[in-house]
Amino acid sequence: MTRTASVFSRFPLPRLLAFALTWWLITEGAAASWMIGAPAVVLATLISARLLPPQRLAWAGLAPFAGFFLRHSLLGAVDVAQRAFRPARPLDPAVIDYPLQLQPGLPRVFMLNVVSLLPGTLSADLEADCLRVHVLDAGQDNPAQLAHLEARVAGLFGLTLTHNIN
Amino acid sequence: MPDLYHALTLFLLLNLGAGLWRVVQGPTAADRMLAAQLFGTTAVAILLVLAQAGGVAALRDVALVFALLAAVAAVAFVRRAWPQPEDEHDRP
Amino acid sequence: MTGPDYLSALLLLAGALFFLAGTLGLLRFPDVYTRLHALTKADNVGLGLIVLGLALQSGSWLVAGKLVLIWLLVLLAGASVAHLIARGARQRGIPEWRR
Repeated sequence: MTRTASVFSRFPLPRLLAFALTWWLITEGAAASWMIGAPAVVLATLISARLLPPQRLAWAGLAPFAGFFLRHSLLGAVDVAQRAFRPARPLDPAVIDYPLQLQPGLPRVFMLNVVSLLPGTLSADLEADCLRVHVLDAGQDNPAQLAHLEARVAGLFGLTLTHNIN
Repeated sequence: MPDLYHALTLFLLLNLGAGLWRVVQGPTAADRMLAAQLFGTTAVAILLVLAQAGGVAALRDVALVFALLAAVAAVAFVRRAWPQPEDEHDRP
Repeated sequence: MTGPDYLSALLLLAGALFFLAGTLGLLRFPDVYTRLHALTKADNVGLGLIVLGLALQSGSWLVAGKLVLIWLLVLLAGASVAHLIARGARQRGIPEWRR
């Protein structure tokens, strides 16, 4: 049938490899576990292809993004830690609106999650294309930081944004 | 290293105990749920340290389950158990 | 203790410091939103540093990979839950603290 055919024609090999790697790691390389692992990995790939269509991903951008993410989440933690440690507890929170250019789907969900791990920002709500961001320090240039992140996320998923706020 | 592992475990446990204050204080149900978040992450850290300290590989699987359970618990709280609107006396 | 041991110890202690920061934020910050900032950012990095310190000691690429996998899972869960709680709090009209 066409549906079965479409599932197999869109069988996402990178996802199969990712699930296989996950199994290999959580079983700490136990060879005998593949009796169960092999069918589980194939099944997981089929189901995930059905639920979430294969995504474009700029593989070359993965390592630079990981570097950016690690650096900035460390900065974010240091920032919030010094606010927690200092006796004055310096906070100047606000809620800002950020119009998203990323279309609904995985890239947008990904951005939503990363926002909460970067310095001073927490994605608090999403209404239509507008992301409500709770910020710890209203005095910082939060919109520019968000625009930079959005461009990075778009690059990771092989998308180009129509205009850049920066 | 073993001494460090045990000191670290103890420290993380004390840290967890301090977080209980937020459960007691609230003031909103969401604040109490935050402490549950803290428990999830800290439990994962403690289990991973103990797995390395005692050479018990299975504890890493327990940590994995804790990571998943903490997420499921939080989602269940937000979707099912969180009164809407918050009770008046729960307001900060 | 050898060189890698010192590095591990440093990473583990730094991780513990971030866990302390997360709890301090949870106790000292004025509302649920600011507390969320503290918990998600500080604890996730704290766990990341502890994972790194343990991975160096594990002596196995497989175990190191598994530790990183667990960390990524906690990151994903933490960020998603933070968003859910923040959104739920706004929908329920819990006000944001202002300076």
